Amino acid sequence: MTMHPLAWWVWALGLAVAATRTTNPAVIALILASVVLVVLARREDASWARAFRGFLVLGGCIVAIRMLFYVVVGIKTAGAVLVDVPRVALPSWAVGVELFGPITLTGLLVALYGGLRLATLVVCFGAANALANPKRALRSLPPSLHQIGTAIVIAVSVPPQLVTAAAGVRRAQRLRGHEPRGVRGLLSTAVPVLTDALSRSLALASSMDSRGYARPLTGRTDRRVSTLVVIALAAASMGTYGLLDGTSPRWLGVPVLVIGGAAAATASILAGRQVRRTRYRPDRWGSPELLVAGCGVVAAVLLVAATATDPAALDPSLSPLSWPQVPPVALLCAVVAAIPAARAFRRPAERVAT
Amino acid sequence: MRTAIGSAQERRTPETARPDGDALPLGLRTVVVLGLASVAGLLAFGWPLVLSPGSGLEHSTDAPLVLAGLLVAVLGVVFVSLSDGGIDVKAVAVLGLLSAVGAVLRPLSAGTAGVELIFVVIVLGGRVFGPGFGFALGSTTVFASALLTGGVGPWMPFQMLAASWVGLGAGLLPRRVRGRREVALLVGYGAVAALAFGMAMNLSFWPFQLGTGTSLSFVPGAALGTNLHRFVLYSAATSLGWDLGRAITTGVGLALVGGPVLAALRRTSARAAFGAGARRAPR
Amino acid sequence: MIHFDHVTVTYPDAVRAALTDVTFRVPEGELCLVIGPTGAGKSTLLKAACGLVPHFTGGLLEGRVVVEGRDTRDHPPRDLADVVGVVVQDPASGFVTDTVEEELAYAMEQLGIAPSVMRTRVEEVLDLLGLATLRGRPLADLSGGEQQRVAIGSVLTSQPRILVLDEPTSALDPAAAEDVLAALTRLVHDLGMTVLLAEHRLERVVQYADRVISIASDGTTVDGAPAAVLADSVVAPPIVELARLAAWHPVPLSVRDARRRAAPLRELLVGSKANRHPSAAGDQVARKSPVRAAAPPITVLAARGVHVRYGRTHAVRGIDLTLSSGQVVALMGRNGSGKSSLLWALQGSGPRAAGQVLIIGPPGAAAKADPASMRPRDARLRVALVPQNPQDLLYLDTVTAECAAADAQIGAEPGTTRALLDRLTTGVPDPAHPRDLSEGQRLALVLAIQLAARPRVLLLDEPTRGLDYAAKRHLAAALARHAAAGAAVLLSSHDVEFVAESAGRVLVIADGELVADGGVRDILAASPTFAPQVAKILHPVDLLTVDDVRRALAATR
Repeated sequence: MTMHPLAWWVWALGLAVAATRTTNPAVIALILASVVLVVLARREDASWARAFRGFLVLGGCIVAIRMLFYVVVGIKTAGAVLVDVPRVALPSWAVGVELFGPITLTGLLVALYGGLRLATLVVCFGAANALANPKRALRSLPPSLHQIGTAIVIAVSVPPQLVTAAAGVRRAQRLRGHEPRGVRGLLSTAVPVLTDALSRSLALASSMDSRGYARPLTGRTDRRVSTLVVIALAAASMGTYGLLDGTSPRWLGVPVLVIGGAAAATASILAGRQVRRTRYRPDRWGSPELLVAGCGVVAAVLLVAATATDPAALDPSLSPLSWPQVPPVALLCAVVAAIPAARAFRRPAERVAT
Repeated sequence: MRTAIGSAQERRTPETARPDGDALPLGLRTVVVLGLASVAGLLAFGWPLVLSPGSGLEHSTDAPLVLAGLLVAVLGVVFVSLSDGGIDVKAVAVLGLLSAVGAVLRPLSAGTAGVELIFVVIVLGGRVFGPGFGFALGSTTVFASALLTGGVGPWMPFQMLAASWVGLGAGLLPRRVRGRREVALLVGYGAVAALAFGMAMNLSFWPFQLGTGTSLSFVPGAALGTNLHRFVLYSAATSLGWDLGRAITTGVGLALVGGPVLAALRRTSARAAFGAGARRAPR
Repeated sequence: MIHFDHVTVTYPDAVRAALTDVTFRVPEGELCLVIGPTGAGKSTLLKAACGLVPHFTGGLLEGRVVVEGRDTRDHPPRDLADVVGVVVQDPASGFVTDTVEEELAYAMEQLGIAPSVMRTRVEEVLDLLGLATLRGRPLADLSGGEQQRVAIGSVLTSQPRILVLDEPTSALDPAAAEDVLAALTRLVHDLGMTVLLAEHRLERVVQYADRVISIASDGTTVDGAPAAVLADSVVAPPIVELARLAAWHPVPLSVRDARRRAAPLRELLVGSKANRHPSAAGDQVARKSPVRAAAPPITVLAARGVHVRYGRTHAVRGIDLTLSSGQVVALMGRNGSGKSSLLWALQGSGPRAAGQVLIIGPPGAAAKADPASMRPRDARLRVALVPQNPQDLLYLDTVTAECAAADAQIGAEPGTTRALLDRLTTGVPDPAHPRDLSEGQRLALVLAIQLAARPRVLLLDEPTRGLDYAAKRHLAAALARHAAAGAAVLLSSHDVEFVAESAGRVLVIADGELVADGGVRDILAASPTFAPQVAKILHPVDLLTVDDVRRALAATR
């Protein structure tokens, strides 16, 4: 058994939170380095692990676009001018937008730092994608989402068969002298594949049904669940509004969201009780999982605490320009974040395998 | 005894004219739930236009995580409510299979500028199996494809909800329209929905992508008109071409495969007899 | 255990009832076999026994079905999961998980059984069905027989008292079928389970049955002891046909019983003319063809050193092969021995790593050509293949549209394909959707489409899946007609009875190599696994089918 996928998600989300606390490029670079190190050390040879490259590329694009936009339509503030590009005025429909203008180092750095932070956030998600086995993550869905979860498990398991089926159909149609090309070719492949997939879904449903799938579900809705769900969603709407509208009373923001969250959790537990099922060889949550998840949480807590106590260190001044310093707490945070890369913290079975 | 390779089997032919079955029927409760969820969703999507100074999210660094987390919770609650009491197992299986089809189409089409065929599946599925199923199909398709391609990110909950709205809307289109007019209706709806999907996604990620330092950036708490104007300009400069491409390919895709795929889905719908259970003779 | 009381089932929008007034009772510990022609309602009966009809399929069920004391009226299939285990026709389509172990545990998870109990039950079932070595394997990598055993295992773990199986051996080679049936008989004899089983290939299962329910085309049933029901059943295995011919009463059901009765028949046949001249391959063809081939046989396909490779696996290793006009040749071998790969390579659209395939054209046309170098639509005029899933060739929504498209594709006169279809089978309605046809009708449609191009060589991959005896006889006749018209037919099959009836020559391949090539009598009669029932009963008399015996008897008189 390898690491529980949720442990990786907690770790990665912790780092994502940590990364959004700061604009200090040195701190962000440290976090980024920890993430990449752990991914390189711990990822398996699996299809989902290959997505990490894509996330790195996406991160690069985010930084590039941010800087490009600064150069083209950025509001050029005062500061040391790097390149003086003449301004271009736009027609009246684009009021207030000017193209180009003098590019300052400060402006460029603001764009770079902002872009880096967003890119690191994205790369943290990429790390979770690369490390956590998605199919096993699905096993951790709460019981109240059992049925939708089943649909997603099917959706994740079937695509290889669909691709094989499509190849089979195209091959079979050449036997008929029909060379699938263009629109008719698309139809003559898509329709049989879809029809097969649909009849297959009914066969699958019948097999699930006669093996006791969703057996304890009564078909009746639970009034308590309905009430709680409505409360939760109403609280979500109000809470979001409260959060966005700075003029609304304070209680309308976070407190209402917390109430909504509690209602949602209760609804989920109540609804989950209807689903009485057990797990064959359930994924264990042991000390390695605790450690990995703990590293993420600690990293987040460290930086959140640091922003509260010493905000200046994490937001280096750009006017006047100064070299970003690495506060000791950020170094500690990066080290904690990188701990899961160590071989010693693998599950025993994993060590044997590698 | 019949003298034939296969003896004739009298099989019912599904009537094409009868109304579609609802794979996931919407009760009053579900309508309320979907309505409230949509309000929360609209706020989350349109947050740059709603945000006012003094808000905790003003500095926009927390917003992607906070709002994504909020939407995950909202979608979770909606699905708890949809499946409370049990979904027909056939609907679960068909949902899984159609999401798989969508998830396969997505990476196939994503690479080529703006071609996005995922909505073809969602629109047709929502049309035939009803609005509740369409809503579920939008989310499961996006989620499954994100899992398959390792594309789970803060944008995923937004995409899930937006795709769900597309499916829901397809299920709510007038039911009586059939034949060519039906395909035309779906083509129109699909193109508009795909364009709206792109714009909505763009809106929710506009502040993160651009920061606040440019003249196309959003201004927290500025008048709605100002921000909308800036957003339109930003869209035109970035994703509008992409979104138009997506709208066109969705429309063309629906026009090409709409008829035959609708027929195939309706055959399944008829064979599945969702929720029909048994008509029983009295004992 | 299973009690049907005046059960009538009508599907929504159906023209007629699928089952009509069915009453029977299956006591505990019996293996009950359900027989009947295609489309008669075997599947409906099985589904009614596990509650899928009407809860899953919809429709009207009149009467009462009681399964171990539970009325299916009040218990949907999921509430019967701990009482009835269901194994569907294509086990792969019912798999819910990815690996053997998880699949075995799935039903128990749904029933909420404690994890420790699950562990022990999974181990027990792995041992019981001989699956222990496969436990971690992905389900997609298993062979047909293994998949079937996993499907049986996956319902056994919830410890049902009744097992319902729909054609469990139809896709299997004889050896794998034996494995599955051995596992089933073990369940009945050692654990006292009740088994309800539908099957077309009666020769494989009838000897194990304690009771037979025969469904007629109109949905009515007869049930009773196997010998009594089979004595005058429409569908009957060769052993029963032979018993009818030889007037044995009661009808023997196993080869052993039949051999003990057959001594006088064997003596009679030893003296017969037909057996005094052991037949050569050419003679065999003549036996099969209703019309004698007008022209002397000429070589129509010559293949040398055909080699097929998928990545690092070698599916076919250098096979040399010639086919002559007027021949019907059978290709036999285990599941996975390379039969399909060879057929696809010969047709030209499958991969071929090395070797040469030449189709020798009719006199006057271009003399020799490799089908792989031709455009698909030209290749099929020379060599056509009916693949294992014939429905893959169909993509339009009515039979008429398919026939019209087929005519247009080869530039034939409109109506050609439809006329061919009507010669192969009757009663295929024009507006029907191809997917709604029975397996036999669908095969006939695809065969008609391929025959419309009048190919010199016709290849068929496992054509007899899901066909009843009558349908197989018609298929054999159609192939013989096509061969007699100057073409060669090569078909791969596990169905020894069909091969004995239809082919004149047999090729056996194992592990991608040709291990035997000869006349049907020489190959089949000698082999313990491939010998048809009649050959086993009459050995050493060299006859394979009931028709052979009938002819031989006529010659003695």
